Formats: sequence, C-alpha cells, structure tokens
Amino acid sequence: MGTVHAKQSDAPRSEKLKTHPNPNEDSHHRSQKKRVTLEGIRARVDKIHVDGLGRTKDDIIIETVRELFKAQDFQDVIVGAHTVRSRLEALGCFRNIGVFIDTSSGPDSTPEGLEVTFHVHELKRIVGGVNTLVGNNEGSVVVGLRMPNLFGRGEKLATEYSYGSKRTTGFNVCLSKPLRGKMHSVFSTSIFQHGSEWPPSGYKQIERGLLFDLGFSSAPNVKHNLQWEASWRDLSCLTRSAAFEVREQSGPTLKSSLRHILCVDRRDQPIFPSTGAYFQLTTEFAGLGGNVGFFKNDLTLQGNWPVLNDVVLQGAIQAGFLKRLTNDQIVSICDQFFLGGPLNLRGFDFRGAGPHSDGFAVGADAYWATAVHLYSPLPFLSTRGAFADLFRTHIFVNAGNVGNFNLGDDYHENWKILSKDFRMAYGLGLALRLGQMARVELNYCIPVQIRRGDQPVSGVQFGIGVNFL
Amino acid sequence: MPSVLLTESLAVELGAREPWPVDVKLFQPYDVEQILLPDNANCLAVQAYLKMCGLHFQIENRSNAEFMSPSGRVPFIKCGAFVVSELDPIIAFVGTKGVSLTNDLDNTQKADMRAYMSLINTVLVNAELYVTWCDPTTLNEVTKPRYGSVFPWPLNHIQCWQKRTQVLKKLSILGWAQKSLDEVYSEIESCCNALSQRLEDQKYFFGDRPTELDGLVFGHLFTILTTPLPNNRFAGIVRGYSNLIELCKTVERMYFDRSVPEPST
Repeated sequence: MGTVHAKQSDAPRSEKLKTHPNPNEDSHHRSQKKRVTLEGIRARVDKIHVDGLGRTKDDIIIETVRELFKAQDFQDVIVGAHTVRSRLEALGCFRNIGVFIDTSSGPDSTPEGLEVTFHVHELKRIVGGVNTLVGNNEGSVVVGLRMPNLFGRGEKLATEYSYGSKRTTGFNVCLSKPLRGKMHSVFSTSIFQHGSEWPPSGYKQIERGLLFDLGFSSAPNVKHNLQWEASWRDLSCLTRSAAFEVREQSGPTLKSSLRHILCVDRRDQPIFPSTGAYFQLTTEFAGLGGNVGFFKNDLTLQGNWPVLNDVVLQGAIQAGFLKRLTNDQIVSICDQFFLGGPLNLRGFDFRGAGPHSDGFAVGADAYWATAVHLYSPLPFLSTRGAFADLFRTHIFVNAGNVGNFNLGDDYHENWKILSKDFRMAYGLGLALRLGQMARVELNYCIPVQIRRGDQPVSGVQFGIGVNFL
Repeated sequence: MPSVLLTESLAVELGAREPWPVDVKLFQPYDVEQILLPDNANCLAVQAYLKMCGLHFQIENRSNAEFMSPSGRVPFIKCGAFVVSELDPIIAFVGTKGVSLTNDLDNTQKADMRAYMSLINTVLVNAELYVTWCDPTTLNEVTKPRYGSVFPWPLNHIQCWQKRTQVLKKLSILGWAQKSLDEVYSEIESCCNALSQRLEDQKYFFGDRPTELDGLVFGHLFTILTTPLPNNRFAGIVRGYSNLIELCKTVERMYFDRSVPEPST
C-alpha cells in the first residue's frame, strides 16, 4: 500500500480521503488516477472520533484506537486506520464501520494535524435464528440465540439448542470474552451436550461437558488454543447385534483433559486453495481426574502448489498416535482413531479400514493417511464465472493405514511396521464448494490395496464435510 | 421396539440349532464392593437356575455390566453370538436348547409356578428396590458408596442421582414410592407367608426336583439374609419362616457348595 489515490474535492482546503476495505480493489483503477507518494508527507493524528457508541465501554475503544496516535506520516495514518478498523471489527460489537480522515481544525489543531472519525453501528442486544440440520442419519432443528457485546467489552454469549428427529437433544452455551493485549487472545467457556450415532462402529454416544478455551495467536496466521475439557461420555450399543467388543465399552466414562491446538494456515483460501500450506497439531493429555487416561497427538499437514494455470497439485498427510498411560485408566472406543470414508481414505466405507470385530469398526491406537490430488477447474468452460468457480475436478491417490502399531526406536523397522498392510485407492471426481466452509465430493474410486475385514467402495462415492484429506 | 422382538425371536430360532457351548459367560457387577441388593438377588437367581439345569458357565465381573446388558439390567449371559439378559429370557433361551426344569410339571403346576414367580417379581423385587433407593439410611450408608464406587468423582454422584431417579419413577408408576417403610415390610411379610404356605414341608416347591421358582426364591431370600444393611428388619422377617430358610440351605448345599463337585449333566 505505497500509494493511495486522492479524490479531488470541491472543498479547497479539506482533502477527503476514504480508505477502502480491500486494498486489492484499488489496484484495478489506480492506473487512471494521479499517483501520490504518501511516505514523505508528514502527518500527525490530533483527534480520533468514534461515532455511534452506545453500550460499548470507552476503555476498550481507547485501547483499540490508541495505536493510531503513533503515526508519523500520512501512510502510517492510512495503514493504521485500516488496522484499527479491522480490530474494531474483530471485537464483534459492530455491524459496519466507516472511516473518515480529515484535516483537523479548531484551537488545538497542529499544522500537520489530522482528525480520524470512525462511524460504527452497534449490533443489537439479541440476535437469533432457527435452522434445520441434516446429518448423521438424523434431521434436527437448531435454535440459536446470540447476545453480542453483552457487558460492553466484546463479551459474547451464544446459545444453541438442537432437537433431533430421533429425540436427541443437544445444546451448547458459550460465553467468550476477548482479552486485552497484543496476542488477540479470547477466553471462552462452554457447557455442551451432544449426541451422536456411529453405525459403522455400532455405538451411540451422549457427551456432556464443560470446556475452557484460551485462544491466542503468537504470530500472524499462527493460532493456538489451550483447552481444558471435562466430558462425561455415555456410550451405549446401537443395536442388539453390535459386536461384543463394542458392547464391552458401554457405560459412562469421565474424561478430563488438557489440549493444545496449534494451527498455522498460510493458504490463500480454506476450500480449493491454489497456494500455501496448512498445518495443525492437536496434543491432548487426558487423565487429570476422571477415569480416562491417554496421551494423543493428531497431525494434519497440507501443501498446495500451482502447476499450470489454474491446475493445483495438493499433497496432504494426516497422522495420529494415542498412547495409553496406565492400566486402570480407560481408553474408550470414542477416543480411538478410525480410517476410511470420503473425508479421509476415499475408496473405503466410512470407518471401513482397519480393525473390525463382527463387521463393526473398533478403532486403533494409531493411523496415518496421505493423499495427492491434482485439481483443475471444470473443463470446456471458457468463461470463468462465479458459478464455474464453485466446482473443481480432481484426480487423486490416497493411502493410509490404521492399527495398534508396536513402534520401537529403529526408524527403519518402524517404517516397515507402519507401511505393512497399508490401504490404497485412487480415482477421479468432482468437488463442489459450499460457501467458504464445506464441500461436497462425488468420486469414482478404485481401491487397489485392501486388507481382510475392510469395507472397500469401488465405484461412486459421495462425501460431504468440512475437513477433507 | 419391534427390532428387539425380532432379534429376540431370531436369537431363539438360531440358538436352537446349537448345543450349549462351553464358553458361556455370565456378566454381573463386582459382588464384593459394587453390587446392590436387587441386582445381587437377580444374579444369584440366574446362577442358581443355570446350576440347577446343570449348564456350565463362568462368572465375569464387570463394573459396567449394567450398561453392557441389552435390557439395562443385570445379569446377562453371553452364549456364542447371543446376549440374553434377565431370568425370564434366559429361561426361554435355555429352553430352546432342550433344557427345562419344568418338564415333569402339569399345566396347573406350571401356571402355579408362574404366579408365584410374578409374586416375587412384583413384591420382593420392588421391596428390595424400595429399601435400596428410598430408605434414607440405606441409601446414604450403603447404596451411594457402593453404586458410585466404580465411578470417579463427580460422576459417582451424578450416576447415583440418575439411577435413583429412574428407580423412583418405576416405583411411583407401580405405586410403591408412596408407601411407608412399614407398609413395605408388611408386603414382604405377606409375600413370605404365601411362599411359606406353598412350600410346606417339601424339599422344593414342586416335590423333590428344583424348578426356576426355587432358583428365584433362593436368589432373593439368600441375598436378603446375607446382605448387611443398616436396618436389619428385612432379613428378620425372612428368618421367621423356617421352611424358607431350609430351602435356601438346601439349594446352597446342593449347588453352591465349593467342597462338593458340581453336578454333571
């Protein structure tokens, strides 16, 4: 942002400047306008006005905008105003924010002085909504209620209640509060209950719990979450014919765990990225009270490289490892790793790879899965409109393994153990983006490495979800 | 739930084709520190019944036996691929293997036996549940520590509360929750009286051979007699009927005495 176009105003002495929310937009029509170098122009912010404040407390606003007073030249002011605007947005208290920069006037004004005005619209006290949700063999109604900016310092209370067609109820009450400081940290507390059914494993689960979460970023794009979770899981068999190994796991367990999630996202967009890498490492230690104890690591790594125009090569790895701590602490089936399904190992049924007992997936202590995709836009569509941009075709190869591996110190030996009896499938398909969150895939899969007890899907497989391998 | 009925009949159909396997296991809670009076009575009744049939089984103690059971009640047996819980379904299941204790009885006697079994199931079982979960002293001194012993804090309190709510709901539907302790004791009194009169001086209820009624009576009365409770009136009432005590002793000696080798089929 070295240059900013200045609009010629009718008023001779006030040069009205308006920053644009997206700096990239400027570049398109910048060439026709007069270029002004702003770094040389000395400037100083005399006053900052924030218009439209109601219940928001002053101290948090002052904290947010104070940085702007440090500006030395005009470019600092523009850039600073932009960051302040996005930080005000990040508070989650305001609907839309406008920025106006004007020369300062009045008795206290300095010769190079400027006045910056932020026009804000506070959000309503209560925002609500009713949604319907279909997933996991059940349709449900979700009633949501949010109270943004509860006490005037960006606190938010969000409640959600869902009622399913199988008479399951779920709820989530979350109170979050942004903390002051450079780390953009947010502290949140949630109480939740949700039920889920896992037909491939033959069990259902009701989870009730309490979660404390401290989220902060240590560098741009590097996010951390420190969590403590206490959850009471109630497992029961879905059917009478469920495998006895699954039946043995039924009953309530209490997990109390500390979790750290490290997430580095340097991709250009979350769905169908064309460049950049993504890394997520979840480390969980359970066993601080409760009767569940384990140490669990889960890693996701994804890289994207543009090959030809619009053709992207994507490589991804997922791996997880769970270590049992003591014999008297339980590791439940719901803590285990599973592999298979359209979201990770395509070409296999959901949870269709790995250890099975009487046809029910029982999970394992470790897994790895890797996939290579070659994405390209829809062929024969020369006009690249917004509609065609929702689709990608891809060819892929994915492989993985899941089991209770006995690893030692010898890397060569370990590699042999991990790669023995691995599963592999390849295929091609069509992927559709749903907003910037989820995606839908329709693939034709050809499994090539199948083990005894696996449930491969050769042919068309449909998948919908958020996190795809 | 139609699916349960279907699998039940399927289990009975398929089960009939195979003989009694050797690896049958009976699952129940830990009997030293966990099991409660009503559960213990039911487990003992099933054990007595299977032993009377001369069927071999192994007892497996699991802290989550109650949750593993398909009906939510202990005990249950695992016989090959089949999981059958509680006495009546187990009797039916054993019947499909061609084993029955009631072959010698005529229809009137069978109906008589059913009537006494349902008397026990309606009176003694509810009385046990009442004493275990509604009597404040027993609840606090015995039930809560024992039932919660297998759960970590604070789950022990939550599970106790949940279980108690369930039991109270059941008892109030059956009209037992509103009764006073004295009324419950008089119910037990009349139940024992009826049983005692039916038994008279016989060895078992129907002559010289035991039936499932003997197993059920043994399971409940033996548990009531041997379980230490803060309020001992329950056991005291049973002790007043010497022929019932004699029955318990006979069954114990015949089927549970470790020094005597197990009766062979």
